[in-house]
Amino acid sequence: MQLEFTRVYPVFSWSWDIRGDDQAAKENEGQEHQHQHQHHKEDQQEEEELCGICRVSYNGTCPSCKFPGDDCPLVVGECNHNFHVHCIQQWLDTATAKGLCPMCRQPFSLKRGVAINECQMDRLAKLLIQSQPSGLSDDQDMMMEQEFVVR
Amino acid sequence: MASLPKRIIKETERLVSDPVPGITAIPHEDNLRYFEVTIEGPEQSPYENGVFGLELFLPDDYPMEAPKVRFLTKIYHPNIDRLGRICLDVLKTNWSPALQIRTVLLSVQALLASPNPNDPLANDVAEDWLQHEDAAIAKAREWTKLYATRQ
Repeated sequence: MQLEFTRVYPVFSWSWDIRGDDQAAKENEGQEHQHQHQHHKEDQQEEEELCGICRVSYNGTCPSCKFPGDDCPLVVGECNHNFHVHCIQQWLDTATAKGLCPMCRQPFSLKRGVAINECQMDRLAKLLIQSQPSGLSDDQDMMMEQEFVVR
Repeated sequence: MASLPKRIIKETERLVSDPVPGITAIPHEDNLRYFEVTIEGPEQSPYENGVFGLELFLPDDYPMEAPKVRFLTKIYHPNIDRLGRICLDVLKTNWSPALQIRTVLLSVQALLASPNPNDPLANDVAEDWLQHEDAAIAKAREWTKLYATRQ
C-alpha cells in the first residue's frame, strides 16, 4: 500500500503551566516551573480552573483582551491564588481592594521563583506606582511597592 | 453601552439554571445589568412567609465594584432604611470580585435572619430593636404580613 500525503494540517495547543489553586496549596515548594508547556491529557481537568475575578479559564483572556497567552498573562499570588494579570491589576487599582487578594483577603503579592511572575514583576510594580491613591504618603508608597514586588 | 461581559452572562445563566433556594433574580429585558429580585424571608425570622422584592444593578465596573442592591418591598429591619437601602459590609467596604450576584443575595437573606441593631442604618428601628426587642419583632412580623405577602 502506498500513501500519499496531499495536505498536512498541524494543530498545536498550549496551556499555562500552573497548578490549580487547590493543588498548589498541597504541592511542595521548590519545583521548577516552565513558562508554557505542551498540553497533556492529565491537564484536562485543570482546564476548568477559572480566574477568580473574570471567571474565564486561565487559558483564556481577561475581558479586555482578544488573544490569550503572552498578551494576557497570568500571575501566581504568594497565597497561591492565580489571576489574569490585567484582572488583578484592575482590582488592586480600586480603593476597595486595599491591596488584598480577592479570594482570601490576604495582602496580595507575587509568588517568588515562579517563571511567569518574573516577566510581570517590573510591569506590575510600575503600574502599581502609577496607580497609587494620591492620599498616601511617600513612606506608604514605598512599603506598598516593596511588599508587592518582594516577599 | 459596551457589550455584556462574559462573567455577567455566565452568572445570569446559572441563576436561572441552578437558582438559590428562596431567591429569584431575573434580568430586565431592556437592560441585562438590571435584575428584578425576590427573597423569601428566612424561617424562624420575623420575615418568615414573606416574599420581598428587590432591585439589583450591576454597575459598569462590576465585578471591580459591588452590585447595587435595594429593597423595593417595605420592611422593618434595623439595617434597612426607609428607601430600601441596605447596610451590609460586602456591598460596600468588604466587596471582593470573588463574590457574585448569588453570594450577595445570600448575604442579604442572611441579614434578614440575623438583624444587627448595633450597626444600624435605620436609627429609629435599631433603637426600637435594642429597647423593646419583642415589640420590634412583632412589628417586623406585622409589616411582613402587610407588605410582603405573596399575591
